[in-house]
Amino acid sequence: MDPGDDWLVESLRLYQDFYAFDLSGATRVLEWIDDKGVFVAGYESLKKNEILHLKLPLRLSVKENKGLFPERDFKVRHGGFSDRSIFDLKHVPHTRLLVTSGLPGCYLQVWQVAEDSDVIKAASTIAVHEKEESLWPRVAVFSTMAPGVLHGARLRSLQVVDLESRKTTYTSDVSDSEELSSLQVLDADTFAFCCASGRLGLVDTRQKWAPLENRSPGPGSGGERWCAEVGSWGQGPGPSIASLGSDGRLCLLDPRDLCHPVSSVQCPVSVPSPDPELLRVTWAPGLKSCLAISGFDGTVQVYDATSWDGTRSQVEPLFTHRGHIFLDGNGMDPAPLVTTHTWHPCRPRTLLSATNDASLHVWDWVDLRAPH
Amino acid sequence: MPEIRVTPLGAGQDVGRSCILVSIAGKNVMLDCGMHMGFNDDRRFPDFSYITQNGRLTDFLDCVIISHFHLDHCGALPYFSEMVGYDGPIYMTHPTQAICPILLEDYRKIAVDKKGEANFFTSQMIKDCMKKVVAVHLHQTVQGDYNMTPDRHLGAAWIDKCRPNLLITESTYATTIRDSKRCRERDFLKKVHETVERGGKVLIPVFALGRAQELCILLETFWERMNLKVPIYFSTGLTEKANHYYKLFIPWTNQKIRKTFVQRNMFEFKHIKAFDRAFADNPGPMVVFATPGMLHAGQSLQIFRKWAGNEKNMVIMPGYCVQGTVGHKILSGQRKLEMEGRQVLEVKMQVEYMSFSAHADAKGIMQLVGQAEPESVLLVHGEAKKMEFLKQKIEQELRVSCYMPANGETVTLPTSPSIPVGISLGLLKREMAQGLLPDAKKPRLLHGTLIMKDSNFRLVSSEQALKELGLAEHQLRFTCRVHLHDTRKEQETALRVYSHLKSILKDHCVQHLPDGSVTVESILIQAAAPSEDPGTKVLLVSWTYQDEELGSFLTSLLKKGLPQAPS
Repeated sequence: MDPGDDWLVESLRLYQDFYAFDLSGATRVLEWIDDKGVFVAGYESLKKNEILHLKLPLRLSVKENKGLFPERDFKVRHGGFSDRSIFDLKHVPHTRLLVTSGLPGCYLQVWQVAEDSDVIKAASTIAVHEKEESLWPRVAVFSTMAPGVLHGARLRSLQVVDLESRKTTYTSDVSDSEELSSLQVLDADTFAFCCASGRLGLVDTRQKWAPLENRSPGPGSGGERWCAEVGSWGQGPGPSIASLGSDGRLCLLDPRDLCHPVSSVQCPVSVPSPDPELLRVTWAPGLKSCLAISGFDGTVQVYDATSWDGTRSQVEPLFTHRGHIFLDGNGMDPAPLVTTHTWHPCRPRTLLSATNDASLHVWDWVDLRAPH
Repeated sequence: MPEIRVTPLGAGQDVGRSCILVSIAGKNVMLDCGMHMGFNDDRRFPDFSYITQNGRLTDFLDCVIISHFHLDHCGALPYFSEMVGYDGPIYMTHPTQAICPILLEDYRKIAVDKKGEANFFTSQMIKDCMKKVVAVHLHQTVQGDYNMTPDRHLGAAWIDKCRPNLLITESTYATTIRDSKRCRERDFLKKVHETVERGGKVLIPVFALGRAQELCILLETFWERMNLKVPIYFSTGLTEKANHYYKLFIPWTNQKIRKTFVQRNMFEFKHIKAFDRAFADNPGPMVVFATPGMLHAGQSLQIFRKWAGNEKNMVIMPGYCVQGTVGHKILSGQRKLEMEGRQVLEVKMQVEYMSFSAHADAKGIMQLVGQAEPESVLLVHGEAKKMEFLKQKIEQELRVSCYMPANGETVTLPTSPSIPVGISLGLLKREMAQGLLPDAKKPRLLHGTLIMKDSNFRLVSSEQALKELGLAEHQLRFTCRVHLHDTRKEQETALRVYSHLKSILKDHCVQHLPDGSVTVESILIQAAAPSEDPGTKVLLVSWTYQDEELGSFLTSLLKKGLPQAPS
């Protein structure tokens, strides 16, 4: 019996819908542009990589009469080529511009998505002052009237550059050399950072560097690598920051008190992660207190953190997506590793996930706790 | 320089009405003659005016080649041959020849009977057109719409590394990344399963050929695994026709089908039974495969009418439906249909459109182009604005030129065809005897005579050529006089010349012959004393035209004079 076939039959019960694609190259990037398209980009070091703007299959976009749309395929709406590997890609909202970061990490590339053809062209570069061989700057975009690009590989090299004038509008101006693992813009004046050590901070760009932060790294620190994501910012009390460590620890924090996590749990994942840089934790935009994590193996796990408090230490996922293991591997190749995942902005239980063997899945999981 | 000229008459930066004119070495070939399914007027046909401006089509065109039986590749053929006027040969494979007339007739019936079209080709025209068809065998498996992933029926498309000058490929789906076959099958199974679980009936209208058998195998496997008891029916008419045509397809199908077919000589299933029209009224869930595929007549329409009023039921349309059919109407979202006698049918059953089409996607097209290794690629069946990225991708990854002409636009490709020439064994042996081994990196000049007779090219030695042609050999020699100031006797002059040349020309064979003359390779130098002036000697330097370079060199050298003899 083909385990793939078995899983597929099982999947009829586990998923409302499920799509599996083979990209021409693996991606570490899944960046939304409105709710109908995503950008993916290759990260190979020795050949040209493709940046693709993919339009989601119509079936995922239409609200009514879904059955009348047979198309289950992604359409490449735009494409471009990059000489460098791309590890991060951000779309500048309300423009046709993209900013990418990769190795070598001495500059950021700005791209123009053509209007009258299907080409993505390299437009200009943004110089990065801290040039390191193996570090690439994290990127986030302030989508104000005059968009600004926040970037940095270390705390001391954090800065915001106005995209049009190319003037630096903000610098961290500190000598701290801690390595950054994630950057996230929260509103017009605030951003959050997470260092690889687990150090978190919220920064107001209207003031000189004085972040709200947890000075001490996450609990049980012993060389683990951390990443974090802030959930719907400023929407009431309760923990809205999730921090994930390469040892499988997941901490929830309240922005008002970053030093004392609201809860700290151990996720049942295989540790250590084979590539801690791939760790990712995301909040579900459409489900209260739901999180997804990936980067430990070929799965994506969904958790419901509603009743987590300081007492719980071991948790079980609400759902585990195993499609990449059953459908894509053929037993001979090494097991796939999920490189990134993202939630659909409108459909509450739909996620996209990508692996290092160039597969891309779109899946809509069934909440088995819900009454029929 | 021989050229290949390509002009799309349809499908140039356009989807549908595939028709490409190719001129190679003075021959004009039309590739495909398709219909554009989206138009009802002249725009549905390729623009033949490009070639019909002067003179008759039959004089201009050497042949028409039809790649496969899909209507967007052959739909305009009867119009072209019987209404526009073409009497030349039409080539296609045997399976295409068998299926083409059926699809053309089906299409004609719908267009005329359902849509009331007037200026359409008739059944007789289809028959007359097919009389002009010459069926051929193909060496390659690939024809028409191809797919690189193994289909349950067809094997994966493959192609020899044939290195054509030009590969023409469609690009409609080159910007698509296809959902995996397994997920599409899963979607189908889920819909069927959910419907029968709630007690509903599933109608699947199918064509006699194509996906029906594949879907049956899929359901059979699933039913077996899930131990389901819900009946599945299959119209008998389907099986008979399918058998007949699948016999033609067998070389193209994959292992599993071949095994099933060959072992029992028909598609036999454990859970799938032959359908009887009475079964449609049975209560409870069931699945029925019935023809025709667009719900425009016959059994599938009958069943549809019975089941349409119940929302628990489902109809799954597996393919494109032509305008005017009930299939097309319900796929457009229509829920109230006017049937014969002004009866209105309310459609409450679920309508699902599932695509099982056979086109390759971006990856598949790149794979195929990569395998064939053409010199150039030409893209058709795509909109210009949406082919720019693909063009760049092909040019960069495969390092070949890529063109995308519009309808009526001609692309000219220079080619450098290689002409095979046979070299005679004698000539080769002679070259080998010169001692140097052949070296692929250092080309050597070979002297011979090219004899062209009929379409045969041979390279032979000059002697052999003269012999074959019965010609006498003539030798051409040049002689030059060099005057030297030398009071000694001519024998001594000759000796001085010999010593001088010997010391300078260390790489060449310099000899002093007994008769006093000096030879350098084949060049002969003789000293003579003119009677008028005892102080002057004349050197006669003589060489064949093959040694002209050395001869000229020697002459200039000697003109500079001889070195003083040591006393």
